[in-house]
Formats: sequence, C-alpha cells, structure tokens
Amino acid sequence: MSGDNVTSGKERKLEDIKMESEQKACPVQRALYYVEEFIKGPMCGKCFPCALGTAEARLRLLRLTKKAEDLGIQDIDALKRIGLQMMQGSFCKKGKDTGRYISDTLSSFGNDFLRHISGACSKEECVGFVTYSINPELCDMCGKCKEVCSYGAIAGEKKKPYLNGYLPFEIRQKRCTKCGECVIVCPAGAVEKINAVKDLVTS
Amino acid sequence: MANTVKVRIDGKEVEAPAGTNLIDAAQLAGVHIPNLCYLKGMKGIGACRLCLVEVEGLKAPVIACNTKVKDGMVINTKTEKVQDVRRFVIDLLLSMHPLDCMTCTKAGVCNLQKYAYEFELKESSFLRKKSGYPVDSANPLIKRDPDYCVLCGRCVRVCKEQGTNVLDFMGRGIESKVVTANDKPLQESECTFCGSCVDACPVNALLEADRWRKGREWEYERLNSSCLLCGNGCDISVSTKDGEIQKINAGAPEGSCEKYICAYGRFGFDSVEGEARLRTPLKRVDGKLAETTWEDALKIVGARLKDAGGNAGFVSTAGILNEDAMVLQAFAKHVVKTKDVDTTLSLYGDAASFVNSHSGDINMADLIVFVGLAPSQWERVLPALDAAVRRRVARGAKLLVINEKDSRAAGAATVNLTGDVPRILRSIAKALITKGMKAAEDLEAAVKDAVVPSEEIEKTAALISEANEVLIFSSPSFFNAAANIALLKGKVISAGLESNARGVSLVGLGAEGKSYVEMVSGGVKVLYAVGEIPVGKRPNTDFLVVQNSHMTELAQQADVVLPSTMYLESPGTIIDHMGRVKYLPQVIEPVGQSKGHAQIFIELAREMGSKIERPTEEDVKKATRERAKLSVRSFEKKEGFDISPKEFIEAVNKSVIDGSRLVWLSLANSKVPA
Repeated sequence: MSGDNVTSGKERKLEDIKMESEQKACPVQRALYYVEEFIKGPMCGKCFPCALGTAEARLRLLRLTKKAEDLGIQDIDALKRIGLQMMQGSFCKKGKDTGRYISDTLSSFGNDFLRHISGACSKEECVGFVTYSINPELCDMCGKCKEVCSYGAIAGEKKKPYLNGYLPFEIRQKRCTKCGECVIVCPAGAVEKINAVKDLVTS
Repeated sequence: MANTVKVRIDGKEVEAPAGTNLIDAAQLAGVHIPNLCYLKGMKGIGACRLCLVEVEGLKAPVIACNTKVKDGMVINTKTEKVQDVRRFVIDLLLSMHPLDCMTCTKAGVCNLQKYAYEFELKESSFLRKKSGYPVDSANPLIKRDPDYCVLCGRCVRVCKEQGTNVLDFMGRGIESKVVTANDKPLQESECTFCGSCVDACPVNALLEADRWRKGREWEYERLNSSCLLCGNGCDISVSTKDGEIQKINAGAPEGSCEKYICAYGRFGFDSVEGEARLRTPLKRVDGKLAETTWEDALKIVGARLKDAGGNAGFVSTAGILNEDAMVLQAFAKHVVKTKDVDTTLSLYGDAASFVNSHSGDINMADLIVFVGLAPSQWERVLPALDAAVRRRVARGAKLLVINEKDSRAAGAATVNLTGDVPRILRSIAKALITKGMKAAEDLEAAVKDAVVPSEEIEKTAALISEANEVLIFSSPSFFNAAANIALLKGKVISAGLESNARGVSLVGLGAEGKSYVEMVSGGVKVLYAVGEIPVGKRPNTDFLVVQNSHMTELAQQADVVLPSTMYLESPGTIIDHMGRVKYLPQVIEPVGQSKGHAQIFIELAREMGSKIERPTEEDVKKATRERAKLSVRSFEKKEGFDISPKEFIEAVNKSVIDGSRLVWLSLANSKVPA
C-alpha cells in the first residue's frame, strides 16, 4: 500500500487531531473523529495492521454512533483488538500511537462505550440515539421548522385562522437526519430532543 | 563461499551466509516465516507485518524480511505476540477478500488461504468490506481482479524492478488499487504482457486470462524446461493436465535475476495445438499438397537426396536441439554427402564468436556491459536479458552501454557511450592499460596510437577496473573488439538471437560449404529446410523439402512437407546464451504424426541405406564442452550481420505468434502508435 500523502502542505500532527477531537463531548465521537482524521491525513497506509485496522475501527465506531442493528460487545472487543495489535504490529510510530490512542480511549471511557451498546449516548451527541419530535401542545404552527428543514422531514400545514381542518406539524423520522436546525428556529420551543433509551435506562 | 554465521531459529541451529535475511535463513532451517509482501531477492519492505519475529535480547518484534542474520542470533518465529499480529492481519484481509476458495483458481497455492488455514480462520471476525473496483479482462492474456487484491505490492515491485514500470498504487490504505498510468486497461499502457506480475501475485488478483476451469495446481504435472523462442533460452516451468499444456511460468530459481519470461514464452504454447500445425507428411500431387504416409514421404525425399548428393543443401534454424544439430550434421555429411549445411545463425553472427564465448552468471556480475546490443522487453528482443540486467542494476550492479545509436537499454545505464563502437572499445582498452592493467604485447601494440578522448572513457575505465566481476554481452559484430577488453578483465559473451546459437556453433553445424544466404537464393538443386526459416518465397531449386511444425508460406510451396515436433514435444539439450547446458524433457506427446528432427533424419538415413545413431548424453557433452579461447584481434566491426533483430525474431516465430493468443498482441501493438 503505497501512494503519496495527498494532503498538501504540512502533515497534521496526531496531537492536534487529538486536541480537536476533544471539542466533542462523547468519547465515541472523539475516537471516531480521531480515526477519520488520521485516515484522511497523517496515515501513510503502507502497512497492513494500520491501513486495514483503522478502516475497521472507523466502521466499528460508526456502528456505535449510529446504533447499528446488531450492535454488541463484539464491536468493543474488535476495537480493543485493533488497538492492541496496531500497537504491536504497525510499522511506524504514527500507527503505533493511533493503536495506543484507541486502546487508551477504550480503557478510560469503557463505560461510555458500553452505554452506547445498551443504546444511549450520555452526551447526546450520537444522533442514532436521539429522536426529535414536535410537541403539539406547544406548537403554534408558524411553519418555520418546515422552511428550515433541508431534508423535507417535517410535514404539516401552517395554521390559517379561517380554517379548522389542517394537518398538524410532525417529524417524519425516516427522513430526519437529526441536524437540530428545527430546534434552533422554533419560537415556541416545541421541538423536543428525546434520548429515549437513556431515559429508559436512567428511570 | 561467503562467510557464514550461525543462528538458532525456533530451536534449530542453522548456518546461513552473512547478509541473508531472516526469512531466507529460516527457510534453510526448514522453518517458514509467513509473509505476503516479501519477494526473494528484493529488499523487504515490511508492509504486511506477517513476518514479525522475536529476537532474543530485543525488546520489540522485528520484521524478518528486512533483518539480517547476526552470529549467535536466537530467533523465535512463533511466539504468542507475533502469532497474534499475524492472525489479526489475516483476519482483516479476509474481511475484504472473497471467500470463494471452492471455485478459486489459485486454491492450493494461495498464501492467504494457507495462512487462514493455519490460523483456523473460517471467515473473518471483522466487518465485510468490498473494493468494488471493476475487473480488467479486456485482453486475452492477463486478467486483473482488484476484489482479490491484498495490496501486497509484489506486482508493482517486480514490474518496477525489471524496468517495465507499468503498475503502481493509486490511493492510500484499503482504498488503494493497483493501476496502470491513468488507470487504463493493460493494453493501453506500456505493458509488455510478460506476466511477471502473475508469477508474483500471492492470490487470485492477477492471473492468466484463460485459467478459469483449466484445472488447479494440484491437478497439474509440472516439469522444468527451457523456452526455445529466442536467444535467451529462459527456464520455464510447464504445467500440464491430461497431456495438455495449461500454463507456463518463469522457471528460474526464486530470487534469481533471471526469473522472467516474456509473453512469447508464457503464452506462445497455444500454437502447439494451433490450426496451422502439421499433423501428417504432405507431398505435391498435381500441383497441390496432399496428405501421405511417413513411409511414402521418406521414400520420395530419400530418393531425391540420393540423386542430388553434393548438390543438396540443408538450411536450418539455430533454435534446434544439440541432438538434432548433431544428427543433421552427420546425416548431411555421411549419408547425403554434401558440405552444404548452414543455419540462420549466419544472418546475425559467426559461429566463432559463440564458440569463444565465456560462461557467465548474471547474478554475480557487478558490472554488465552491452556492446552493440540493445535488448528490449518492449520489442521482445532478448527481453529476458534486458529484464535480468535491469534487475541486477536495481540490486546494485552497474551497467555500461556502448552502441552505435541510443537505445532504450541506455535508460538503465550508469554510463552510455554512443558512436563508433570499435573505436570506443579501443580507447577504453588504452585507458585501462594506462591505469596499469596488464596486457599482452600485441594488445598493447594494438592500442598504442589510440587516444582517450573524453572524461566518459576515463570514467568507464574506472568502472571496469573497480568492478569485481565484469560481464560483457556483445553482438557478434563487435565480439572480437569486445573480447579484447575481456582479455584485460571480465568475461565476454556473444549474444545470439536464437536459443541454441551457441550449441549449434559448438557442434560445428555449418562450418563449411555454401552459406545460408547462398542456398536460399537458389544455390542448390535440392533444398532441405529444417525448422521455421525466415523465407517466404520458394528459392529457385528443383526440389524443396520443408520440415517444420507448422504450415508456413514456404511450406505451401514445398514439394514435400514433413511434420516435426515443437519444443516441449521432444527431449534434448541446448547450450543457452550464458553457456549453460539446459536439459529439455519431453513435456507432452507430439501432436499428430509429428516427429523430432533427429528422429526424421535417422529414419531418412535408414531409408537411404545408412545408419545414424542418436548421440548419447556423453557425445553431446563432448561436442558442446566449453572451449572459449580468446586471442587479441583487431578492433573492427564484422560486417554482414545487419538484420533487424526484432524482425528476425518475429519471422522465426511467426507460426507461434499467429497460432496463439500472441496474435492479439501483435495486432494490439500495431494499433498503438509507437
């Protein structure tokens, strides 16, 4: 696996990527950011443990953030193994350090990772665990949320004073990307973010 | 013998030459260290990490492919730590590799399969991935399937090392892909279709295009032989199944610079069963060629030769076996009683230069010199020599090219000199003598008034005097001049264009009588052509016999056509360009009623009431023993050998090219503007 580093200019340092990742609160999000940036940037991709290992780690982390269907303890085990073997087997320091990063993150934030498996992101950053919905009690049917939604995920009709048969505003969950724009524009605070499983777990 | 060091590998004491890497040393101890990206002879790159081993006294595991043995080293190749890394890598590779071993052509010789078995990996424990890159199957020779690729880079590295430089990686990590320039199909790149990449691929990503359902490795019978299609006489490994050839691979030992065969050697074997193949003897009846029996054909030819006697002439290719050459020689001399025997060798060289050539080993040479020679993989003119020399150069040797015109070989040269070749050689000799090299008196006299005109010559002389092992390859035209340099230092080899030019010369075929050119321009009453000679129009002769494996333009105008065997169909020996005796076993049964050249002459002799014996191994050895004897000659070019090597090689292999997949290649090449 060869090829030049395509990023122009100076190569990004692992330290910088790590620091940037800390802008995220969720450890899974942090790890995902780190691995994705590593693949895009400083990874040379020449030795197998690193090139193949990080690709696998990325997929596993994505599964964790998205609440993939058969998510389970095996995903965390796979990450552990990747971290350990990259430390052992990678050619250069960058690869070994990335392996160590994965290992360290897993041991420091093991509980957070486990919680993702049981279906909750305590930092509410992993979109797969969050549902947005419009509280009809609070909604004043201004239609601003529908205007701002780029994905056409909101259905409903603006209230017209002389009509009384109209569709209420609702979020079509299948289309919703959980970007959160509707929350920002809603003047009535009617869009609610529900971390269903977390509530279930904590209650 | 180089110094050896003692190491202990997995408890086994082994003595390995100093400088050996741990993978090769372990092999000596009978221990296999897993690897995917290592290629013997080349520097290890440590990409696959499978060859990690633990050395006692070192904290971290090291890669065996790029670690050299040290005296007293204790190496453990199977510790838990390194086995875990190996299992991890194989597990990951399996997650992006089709799991179809049950129908995969490479099953049985696939390294990934072997290691998956060793680590008990039925399937990957990781998430399934797929490259999704399209298959390149746009040519009938080599198929590339990126889905199977494990990105080991072996193909890229062999292609680079031999100087063809067609393949490279695009992208990084698991998204990388082995591509040609601009990701074009192979035939639109500079690919020569030598197939070195196919031999290097550890999995099913690069394969001969026709291999699907043609049997798998364990069904094949494998025999080592030599290719007879050009002057290199490369080692080949022939795989047969049910008596038919399925594939041919490069046969030189692993790690040798000479492990290479060109597209002719690899794909030309289709012509064995080609349409134009002659299966029965033919005779002219009412102006048309009609099938006949051997008995009848031999009777006709025997009678004609008896009548003609000294007026009969034999022309042969120099791509025939030593045994064939010896029997032909005896047949012409003692049975037909004619002096007129010659070979196509006289078109490009003189027998004396081949007889006086040294034996050499390109793997040992640290300075290689081309004199008046332009081997080219792209034109398929001595392509194996080109590839081997480029490899040797990539591994640290130097190349000196002295030619009348610039050639592509110069691209790999340390020093490239163009101009009047004998004059340049004379200046070099002078410079060497000035440097204090001992020379015979007459050589000193011959260079007395030579001038050393340039720094380049000085530099060349320095290269020669500093080298340990100088190997000069010369075209026959400049052999005498080149030999003068070899008298000062090194070995010299005259490079012929046909596989057994040297053997035929040593046997003495064509030493007297009319020359090839005289005979094919109508100098004899009965002309007997042996093998595929580059003549299209019937020479002016009373009776023409063509003895060849295929129907050719010349054969169509013959009076009698005798079907002969091809290489791989009859056993024998050749002396290759490096002076080595090569044994060719009979790999397959002769097609139809075809017979070996020697056999036909023996039967003809019987028909004519004489007896010739097939030479024994001893006879051949005696006749072809090396007897190089160099003496000081003048620095001159021998004239008369100015044929185009490319056209000549294509002409003597016309039936092979037209009767195989190679015909596609010649068509594809003619379409691509040079």
